Amino acid sequence: MFNKVLIANRGEIAVRIVRACRELGMQAVAVYSEADRHALHVRYADEAYLLGPAPARDSYLRGDKIIEIAKKSGAGAIHPGYGFLAERADFAQACIEAGLAFIGPKPSSIMAMGDKAVARKTVAASGVPVVPGTEGEGSLSDEELLALAPKIGFPLLVKATAGGGGKGMREVQNLEEMPSLLNSARREAEASFGDGNVYLEKLLEDARHIEIQILADTAGNVVHLGERECSLQRRHQKLLEESPSPFVGDDQDLRQRMGSVAVRAAQAVDYVNAGTIEFLVDKDKNFYFLEMNTRLQVEHPVTEMVTSVDIVKEQIRIARGRQMRHTQEEIQLSGWAIECRVNAEDPYNNFLPSTGLISHMILPTGPGVRVDTGVYPGFEVSPYYDSLISKLIVSGETRGEAILRMRRALEEYKIIGVRTNIPFHQLLMDSPRFIGGQYDTRFVEERFSMEEAEEGKENMTEIAAILATLVAHYQTQRAAQIIQRNERDTSNWKWMGRWERLHR
Amino acid sequence: MKYVTTHENREILIEILDEHHVVVDGVTYEVDFESVSGEPVHSLLVNSRSYEANVYPSEDGWQVLLRGALYSFQVEDEREKRLRTSIGGRLGEHREYHLKSPMPGLVVSVPVEDGQMVSIGEVLVILESMKMQNELKSPRNGTVARVRVKVGDSVEQRETLLSVD
Repeated sequence: MFNKVLIANRGEIAVRIVRACRELGMQAVAVYSEADRHALHVRYADEAYLLGPAPARDSYLRGDKIIEIAKKSGAGAIHPGYGFLAERADFAQACIEAGLAFIGPKPSSIMAMGDKAVARKTVAASGVPVVPGTEGEGSLSDEELLALAPKIGFPLLVKATAGGGGKGMREVQNLEEMPSLLNSARREAEASFGDGNVYLEKLLEDARHIEIQILADTAGNVVHLGERECSLQRRHQKLLEESPSPFVGDDQDLRQRMGSVAVRAAQAVDYVNAGTIEFLVDKDKNFYFLEMNTRLQVEHPVTEMVTSVDIVKEQIRIARGRQMRHTQEEIQLSGWAIECRVNAEDPYNNFLPSTGLISHMILPTGPGVRVDTGVYPGFEVSPYYDSLISKLIVSGETRGEAILRMRRALEEYKIIGVRTNIPFHQLLMDSPRFIGGQYDTRFVEERFSMEEAEEGKENMTEIAAILATLVAHYQTQRAAQIIQRNERDTSNWKWMGRWERLHR
Repeated sequence: MKYVTTHENREILIEILDEHHVVVDGVTYEVDFESVSGEPVHSLLVNSRSYEANVYPSEDGWQVLLRGALYSFQVEDEREKRLRTSIGGRLGEHREYHLKSPMPGLVVSVPVEDGQMVSIGEVLVILESMKMQNELKSPRNGTVARVRVKVGDSVEQRETLLSVD
């Protein structure tokens, strides 16, 4: 069995996997692009190999090169993390053919769940409810989709069949705007996945996005680790996750029903290793299968906090052919966990990505706080990869304690050099709707604005004004001193003239 | 030194008496102000209450990020303030708008061309950065001029992409 794992990823998730390897006493092999020589995963790993230039297609998507490096380094397994090659059946297959263990499901399961349209058909056949849409039709042309759309009804969603993470997804309100939205969805899907195929799905209103984490071993045991509430999203990108879900709450019956349906969906594709079944849940607690993510999820830590199961270590054990350490009965949810995704995005400027050198950083610490990150002071956030730079996770005995702890931790967290969405999370923590657990997938986009959320807050305009004035004042003073210092070599007037020309 | 610090039409008169005393709209406060050299992080004690904030220069003033809220200010000394009032602050509408790239990225689409009329909110350029496609929209009605980028170009932050007259 393997004792050395190659990590085909970067950023915080690569660091997370290195840590799991360390704790299991395994060697970790990192791969990196030219932009990532200084990245934390390279520094933490036992060995590191250059893949190629910064763009993902020349580096982290080079499956052939990654397999070659695995062979050369003597790694016996590849962990794909999330994104990049994680849900590429052909890559998983190539690993197996090269004699490497792929830490994830079988290629056939990835294939079955990877084509979202086929996945819906497969699970529906095993009695799992799905959201109405264009099922299992394979690739449809724009004309066919436009003809089918009125039958499904508006509003609806255009989704990439190879999709995930909101890429290639568009919301359509009526038939008139559909052609241009189809066009942009296909373009984005093509750019992100190399596959421009899309399908349609009815848009459920007031719906929540709740997902179930499952683990399955090679002996055929499948367990679920409870739910994660992922309704807080912007442009279909999750921003905050919690476990348990405040909507499921004390309803053990709903939790068990969703859990057993998730287990059934996994069994429908003969699933092995960690995976997640995403459901849409309407206000009457009806739930529908959305899709299955056949990989480790960004938000796995909230489940780890409430179940005490180390999911990444379980993944590696399962890939080594071991049986799972827990039966369904042994898995109990205890306490509450919340994760805030810290993105290099400016919440005051339409969440546009922000790049640059992180010059200064203070991490939150103290009771119940966990930070999974791949950045540090001196690290350059580049435009090549996604904007997630850190995940701040807290746990508490109750949801209330977790919220107060998250507020405290967000205030401690200082990242200087790039703009981050930390202020967004701070305002969210103060929002009565969030505190009351009253939110759905549209909340952030339709009923939350930075400006309005700030209105109710304690007004610190005068304190802020003093700060702005002092900073401006000392800056002017410093500029004046620079001019004075040079009076030795030349007259001040001459110097002023030069200085002004320089700054014209 | 006396300053007029403006926040959303509210003028706050701030006088810096010495290193440890400021007067805000007639009320004197004892302050202690410290900065990390070269960084936008500042610590301020006001009558012994502790505040920490990030202060950034912006296009036309200063932005202060304090306890999870962002405040924008214009800071002017009395002379600057008089000057600006005498010019009259009515430059806005007639000046041309230069669309600058808010971040480094790759131009995915330029759905407009030179001489084309655009209205407020119309997409001018689609820029891909950090795997997200970002639509850069026109803040006003006008005519597109001097398109400097094409599909496939890599652009730097603050690079001018095109203008709207």
